[in-house]
Order: sequence, then C-alpha cells, then structure tokens
Amino acid sequence: MAISGTELHTCPATPAELRTVLADTVADHPKVRIAGAGTAAEWAAPPAPADLVVDTRALRGIVRYNPADMTVAVRAGTPLADLRRELAAQGQRIAFDAPRADAGATIGGLIATADAGPAQQAYGTLRDLVIGMTIVLADGTVARSGGHVIKNVAGYDLAKLFQGSLGTLGVMAEVVLRLHPLPRAGATLRLARTAAEAVAVGRRVMAGALEPAALEWCRNHLLVRFEGGQEGVEDRLSAAARLAGAPGDVLRDEEEAAAWRPVHEVTLGRPGDTVLRIGTLPGRGSRLIEAADALAARCAVETDATSSVGVGAHTVRLHTGDPAARARFLTTLRAEAAALDALVTVRRREGLPDGTDVWGPPPPTVPLMRAVKQQFDPADRFGAGRLAPWL
Amino acid sequence: MLTTTTITEFEEVLGTEAVVTDPVALRSYECDGLTGYRVTPALVLLPSTAEEVAACVSVCAREDIPFVARGAGTGLSGGALPVAQGVVISVQRLRRVLSIDPDNRRAVVEPGVTNADISRAAAPYGLYFAPDPSSGQVCTIGGNVAENSGGAHCLKYGFTVHHIHAVDVVLPDGTLTRLGSHAPHQAGYDLLGAFIGSEGTLGIAVRIEVRLLPRPAAWRTLVADFDSLEAAGDTVTDIIAAGIVPAAIEMMDSLSIEAVEAAVAAGYHRDARAALIVELDGPHQEVASQFAEIQRLCRDHGCTHLRVAADADERAVIWKGRKAAFAAVGRISPDYLVQDGVVPRTRLAEALTRIARLADAAGLRVANVFHAGDGNLHPLVLYSEAAGQHDRAEHLSTSIAELCVELGGSLSGEHGIGTDKACSMPRQFDADSLATMRRLRTAFDPHDLCNPGKVLPTPRLCGERPGPYQPHPLETAGVIERM
Repeated sequence: MAISGTELHTCPATPAELRTVLADTVADHPKVRIAGAGTAAEWAAPPAPADLVVDTRALRGIVRYNPADMTVAVRAGTPLADLRRELAAQGQRIAFDAPRADAGATIGGLIATADAGPAQQAYGTLRDLVIGMTIVLADGTVARSGGHVIKNVAGYDLAKLFQGSLGTLGVMAEVVLRLHPLPRAGATLRLARTAAEAVAVGRRVMAGALEPAALEWCRNHLLVRFEGGQEGVEDRLSAAARLAGAPGDVLRDEEEAAAWRPVHEVTLGRPGDTVLRIGTLPGRGSRLIEAADALAARCAVETDATSSVGVGAHTVRLHTGDPAARARFLTTLRAEAAALDALVTVRRREGLPDGTDVWGPPPPTVPLMRAVKQQFDPADRFGAGRLAPWL
Repeated sequence: MLTTTTITEFEEVLGTEAVVTDPVALRSYECDGLTGYRVTPALVLLPSTAEEVAACVSVCAREDIPFVARGAGTGLSGGALPVAQGVVISVQRLRRVLSIDPDNRRAVVEPGVTNADISRAAAPYGLYFAPDPSSGQVCTIGGNVAENSGGAHCLKYGFTVHHIHAVDVVLPDGTLTRLGSHAPHQAGYDLLGAFIGSEGTLGIAVRIEVRLLPRPAAWRTLVADFDSLEAAGDTVTDIIAAGIVPAAIEMMDSLSIEAVEAAVAAGYHRDARAALIVELDGPHQEVASQFAEIQRLCRDHGCTHLRVAADADERAVIWKGRKAAFAAVGRISPDYLVQDGVVPRTRLAEALTRIARLADAAGLRVANVFHAGDGNLHPLVLYSEAAGQHDRAEHLSTSIAELCVELGGSLSGEHGIGTDKACSMPRQFDADSLATMRRLRTAFDPHDLCNPGKVLPTPRLCGERPGPYQPHPLETAGVIERM
C-alpha cells in the first residue's frame, strides 16, 4: 500500500488480498474509489474524494480456461486486449468490441461502465456475455453468482447489478465470460448514406435475415459488417448490396480497419472532447442525429456522431465550443430527446461546466437502485459521486 | 392477514367473479408442473389489467399477505407453488398482444400471452419470438420472464433475458414501475437483467416489451445415429471446435429413443445407442456450407446412420419425437422424475457415466435426453410409485443434480430452483453468496411477501419432503412435455 495525498492506494493481486484490504479498512478508510486502467476516468459524474483507492490492475490474468468449453474465468482487472490475444491463440474471442478495449480498459471497467460497441447488433454487450462473477462487498463479504456454464438459472444473477454500477456496489474480483469462435472470414460493405437512409438500409438487411454482425452509420457512411464462413460472407455482402440498391465498397483487412477508425475516434473522443451517449428506438435514431446536427449550428459547437442503427445506440462527440455552449447543446438535445422517448447521458464529461447533470431525468427505477445500494453497501463506502444525483 | 374484510376489498377491486374462494376451484391452483408439491392457496385472484394487479398487491402489502404470481402453471420447479395462508395472483386474464412494431422489431404484450401467440402475432411481419421452451404452446411470457426460460434453440439465440427490452413490474409494495426502456441502455444498475430469472420473487411482470427476430432465411436439420454416447459427444465437441454455432444440438440415449418410438414413431432407430439432432439456421450460403461440414464430422466419428430432413414436415416430425421424449417415457415406466442439471460440455461423458453408476446403485433406470450443445442434461429417473420406489427416485434425482454441481456445472439450466431445488442451493453457493442474493431480494421485497420460500433455502422448507410425482393434467393431455 502507498499513501498519496490523503488517499491510501492499494493494489490487491488476489481476491483474498482484496477481501482483506476491504475488511481491514472499514473503520479507518471508510470511503473507497475503485480504479481500473483509468480509461473512463472522465466518464459519468466525477468521483467524490475517497480515503482509499482500490486499484484493480494487479488483479489480472486468466483463472481458468478450457477452450473446448468456450468459457473463460479471469480476474476483473485483466485488460480485455490482453485477454483477446490469449483467446485468439485458440481461435476464440469475446464477442465484444467497445473501442475503449484498445486503450487498455479492464474487463471490470467495461462492465462497470456498461460500455458497448458496434457488435452489440449481433452479440449484445458484456451484460449478455458474463455468465458468472465473484464480488467483494464493503465489509469484505465475498459472494459468487452464476458459474462456469453458459446455461444456468440457479440463484439471482448478481452480475447484472454490476453492469453500469460505476463502482458503487462492490468490487468485481473475478468474471466468467462466454466465448465465441473467431469467425473464419469477415468483411464490411461501405455505402454512402445519410443517417435516415442508413436506418432504412439497415432495416432491409435485417429483414433479409442476413444476420449482420454490425450496422454502423458514421460520417455519412453506413458500414455493414458480416462474419462467418468465406462463401457465406461473400453471399451476404452481395445480398446486402442488392438490398441497398448500390454496389458500395467491399472492404477487407487494412482497408476495413481504416473504415472503422472514425467510429472509434468519435466513440472515444480526444482530450477536451465531450462525448454523449444516446439511446433511441432504432427507427427514431436518425431524427435524433438530425436534431443534433441542427442544434450544433445553433449552439456554436462542432459535433460528429456514430450510430448503431439496428440497435438504436448513438454516440455524439462535441469537439469545439465553450462549456456554456456545450451545456446549452446538452440541455436542448435532452428536451428534444424526451419527445422521442430517447435517453441522453454524458459519457465523457470533459468540456462541460462543473456540476453538469450528466444523467438527465431520473428513470422510475431510482428508488430501487437506492434500495439495492442500501442493501449491498449500507455504509456508502463505494463510488460516491459517480451516480450522483441518483445515489 | 387474510380476513373476510380483505376478501371483500379484493372483490371491490376486481369484481366478485374474479375472486376465487370455492375450495374445489382453489384446488386447481395447488401445484404447477412439479406436481409432487401441492399447497391449496387461501384465495385466487384473477385481475384483468396491470392496474388491478397493482391494486391486489397493494392490499397484500398493507395486510401482510404473501402472494404468488402464476401464469399457465407449466413450471417444473414448483416456482408457482402457492402459500397456504396466501393468495395466488393469476395473470391468465392479461393476455392481450398490445402492439407490434415491425420497424423496430418488438412487441408489447401482457404477461398471460403464450410464446406461441407472440410468434403468431409477429408472423405477418416475418418476425418471431426466439425463446422456445417445450411448453411454448401454452406457457406464458410472464412465466418465461420469471424463469429466464431457454429452450432447444438457446445455443444460438440465448435465453429470455436476451430478448426483453423492458418490463412493467408491480413491485412487492404495490408500486407499478418500469425496468428497462425503449433505449438499448439505461444508466445505472441493470435491474431488468436482475429481475429476469428471479422466479417471481422480486415482483410481478405485467407488461413486457419483447424483442422479435426476422425468421431465418434457411434451416437444415439432421439426425445422426452413433454406436456410443461418447462418439456422439465427441462429434458435438468437434462441431463446436470448428467454430460452428448450430441453432440446436440435442442428444437422446437408447432408452429415450425406445420411448419416443413407442409413443410417436418419429422414425428414430431403436438400435442406435445415441442419436444426435443438429439444426442450423441462418443465411442460405452459411447454412449450406456449415451443414456439409457437420455431415462430414458425423461420418468422421463413425455415425451409423444419417437422416437429413427433406422438408419442413420431416423437420417437424424429428422435433416432435425429440419434444415428446418426456411424455413418451410414460410408455416405458409408470412414473418418472425430470432433472435439469448442467455440466461443462467437456464433462458430458463423465457425467453420463457417473449418472449410470448412481442409477445402478439405486436399482433404477435413467433415460437421458439433453441439450448437448450447452451441457444441459435432462436425465429422467424412471420408477414405480406402486412399487414403493418414490423415495429412492427422489434421492437419485437430487444426487444427479448435485453431481452436476460437483462437476463444475449448475443445479438448473432452465427449469429454475423454485421449491424443488432450494434445499440443494448450498451445494452450489456458499452461505455468503446466498446471503448476498438475499440482500437483492430484501431490496425489492423487505417483508418477504412475494413468492416466499422459493429459490433460497429456508429451514422450514428444507425440513419437509415432497409428495409423489403425479402427471400434470396438461401433460396427460399431451399439450406439454417436461424438458
């Protein structure tokens, strides 16, 4: 352990050490902040000052991996990028592609922030891939839910509570994940389309039962990715082009990676950028994007956006504009979003005035969230500030 | 407490005909698909709207009356077992499909709607609801949400939790709230995910926004016979290792095949030691190339016969045989119990060997039908009530479930813990884990009124013994199967 300023910094390397440090500091260091690789430090509401920082980066590595079972148990501080390399050697992967993984994000951090990437079109988010979890609570209680098998309904699925929990309930020690085979082939069809056209094409591709792995609209292009066998992917690329009424560009390898780079840039943002996350019904997504475009001009901010059009998940990045202008953009966009039954939250809060409401109107579940928090962390040790003002 | 005053209050809320007090009528709610456990409820309520459900629960909360929600009553773990001094709130009258939104591929339905009805309503748009439990013709979406139901095709498509966008829930204090939303993500804890599969202990789902999928462009189905369960199991391993994710991979042993052929003559070969049913669905070309590969793998492992479904009718016959397996066992045994344990797929062979050994030791037969792709076993313990074998069968059945835990698996893959396996939970989860699960329950239901006694072990429950298995009326009628 090391003391920096008033915060005690600890890097437990095993679940047992994690348990001990939490149990031993209940009285002396009541307020705890959980930190992973720090790739989302600027996300959500800012953390309140803490007495103890639990750094999970030493809590890393594969605990159990039997490739034939297609599941892997890892320590929660393991960077996803590291894990990908180990799994790829066995022809397997975690079907999850949040761009933050490339920046070194940990499995635990990606769960705690409920992060997502374009592949949620086909595979959902980590919420859908986590099959077991070991957690340590504020008093040192170690609890496990789920297990090592994909199909399992025994007991409550406590891992779901940690999805989006932002370090407010407890510390994830180990996570068990479902794996998928690495596809034998993959390629992207790129089509020049407006946001509204992209929604329509996406709908036709899905209705054609072509099972796209991702349908992403970014900077006036729709990217349709297919994964599978070589012949199957070729067949689906042609079918999608037919449904779109245009040949488009078929991109592979380096060219394909380059086409997806803007999606990563918008999603991650650069230092100083503000990044918003928007959820809509898929069919209403383009209206929200158009509203954001119109609003950017009025508010004197510059924006760009990326949309998972089949899912209704959108990211809007503000890369210019003073804090007051950005706050105005956010407030006005939220008002327009409300009319579309959409949700606008702040992902990266940089560039916004201090004290900005990052979450927006509280959902009806806030009282339940508080009840869960009260049960799991009655002394309010964990994550103060991150879900403010709800918690 | 339930008094004549509260009964009158329920009657004022629902109308007298929606409050069941007749002892004979109450008896028809005494059990679900796990018929060995029976408790007659004090009262049954038949609300017709979400608001009526909320009003009923509010009265229960105020008067401290335990309540149990019930859909079609097809559950196999006693999840809808009534409480003697409590009420059953049936959602059978909430059975409207409220809306279908083909553009956004979703439907909003009431909890009493069956899986089959959702797919029927979605069919004109080329869409369907993917979860396919065997009782899908009659079981309700409310029950699916409670149990996080799976089905044969969940290998590719996942479970109920992957197919629900939002649920309107009546919480145990009577509050009507919404978990999830139109948007694909909502800030804060994934309470929707935690609610799905909570076996009716965290509240009652009263309106459900489900995800619909486009019908697959193509499907192919085959049955491959093998000389041994090991050869069939190795084939499954190689299919998975080849990077293929079939829609379903099912396996039946010779005893199950014998029962199926006696009952429905689906064309399975009685001389096969194991039959593998593999189904692929998806885009045409993907399915075509993978299907060729699967046939090759079956031959490589020495399959003795390969039957490829020529058309939709033959596919239906193959599935009819598979799904009839449980009821069919009635042809070869007067009584039986169904297990639902899961083992890591790579330990299937070991699990089957040890199950056979346990069966020999108990002097009973066990037929095996299972979802081979995900290691979800459904061993059928055959016994005779008349011959006094009930206790031995119960013991064997529990031993098999606990064996699955020992092999690194789970007590239940899809039937739930309910009343049936609550007492086995300490085998799978230590005391701290169970106490932490209890914290979640307390957050939703601090007074323990909502489906009490299910999922988590209680001293009262775990001191009792269940009665003998009796066929469920729907099972006798051939409407449902136990899988």
